[in-house]
Amino acid sequence: MIETQATADMLLMTHPFSAPAEKAEPVEVALVRAVLEGERDRFARLYEMYAPMVHGVLLARVPRDEVDDLVQDIFLHALKKLDTLRDAAAFGPWIAMIARNRAMDFYRSSRTTVEVTEQMAVAKTPNRTAREVLDLIKQLPDAYRETLVLRFVEGMTGPEIASRTGLTPASVRVNLHRGTKLLRERMGVAEARS
Amino acid sequence: MNDNYLWDGTGEPDPEIQKLEELLGELRYQPQPLHIPADITVGRKRSFFLPMTIAAAIIMFAILSALWFQFSRKPNATTLQSRQDAPVTPTNVRQPESSPEQKTATVKDEPKEQKPRRQLNRNLLAINKPVKRHETLAPRLTPEELAKREEVLVALRLVSAKLNLAQRKTVGVPQTTSPNIIRNQHKIG
Repeated sequence: MIETQATADMLLMTHPFSAPAEKAEPVEVALVRAVLEGERDRFARLYEMYAPMVHGVLLARVPRDEVDDLVQDIFLHALKKLDTLRDAAAFGPWIAMIARNRAMDFYRSSRTTVEVTEQMAVAKTPNRTAREVLDLIKQLPDAYRETLVLRFVEGMTGPEIASRTGLTPASVRVNLHRGTKLLRERMGVAEARS
Repeated sequence: MNDNYLWDGTGEPDPEIQKLEELLGELRYQPQPLHIPADITVGRKRSFFLPMTIAAAIIMFAILSALWFQFSRKPNATTLQSRQDAPVTPTNVRQPESSPEQKTATVKDEPKEQKPRRQLNRNLLAINKPVKRHETLAPRLTPEELAKREEVLVALRLVSAKLNLAQRKTVGVPQTTSPNIIRNQHKIG
């Protein structure tokens, strides 16, 4: 429908012709450049933009009590290593990768984890708490749990997740669909819906 | 399942997804200020490693090429260089052409200036061609001395012939007029 309308507009020339606008420089590029030139305060803006994404990436992997401290550590580490970032427009995928690596390091250093079993998940009643649902999400495959946390916990849309994490929109869409289906099955409320 | 609502929040809301959003929304990120310690250095580090490496490589290349050029030169080149480095004397400077009379006049007037020129040429010949020449020049003799030398040589030849004859007589060899005669020839056939 949208494509049909766009084609009709183009043929009937209902809208004045205008040259395609040049792609504007992403905000991240200007912010990274400013920080590298010595304006440390500009990093706070990057922190505001990407802290929810980093929080979601960590929440899908490490205990919730550790997440806030790790978010701070990751951003300080990113500030130190900002000069190693070659493409300033890729700040989001870069810091997401730092967060994933830091989560792996966390589990390497502390092995005392409680594994949530399948029986524990099924035995609970449908009135679950947020932590219990989060634990169920953490049992899902790695690709699904990060996308689901960013969508349901952080409230990001699919296109936002794709642009912030560097994943393709198609991958995010597939992860959201299959992850939600798996989560419903784990919660015992899966329904045969197409 | 409403994919559009799950994807970008548009379309008909899915109640189960809304319920998940409400439930998990409790865990959402709570904005906290970022505390940046003062000791963290922000900014691009000026790395002098690469420029220093390039400069060192250029200097090394220049030194090595100079050494190679120095040692690969022929020995003649050094002598030529030494000749070029020699102080310029009036003999080295090419004089403008002048008439023979003037030349003789200058030669007569300045006989001492010829010596260094000859010495210089000898030195150059000795350096460029180190082959030793053992030449014994015959002393120049006057005609009287030459005549006396001829007399002595004739006398020596006579004495030699007489001694040869005496030797043949004592040994018993038949005297011959010519030593090249073939003896004991027989006819063939």
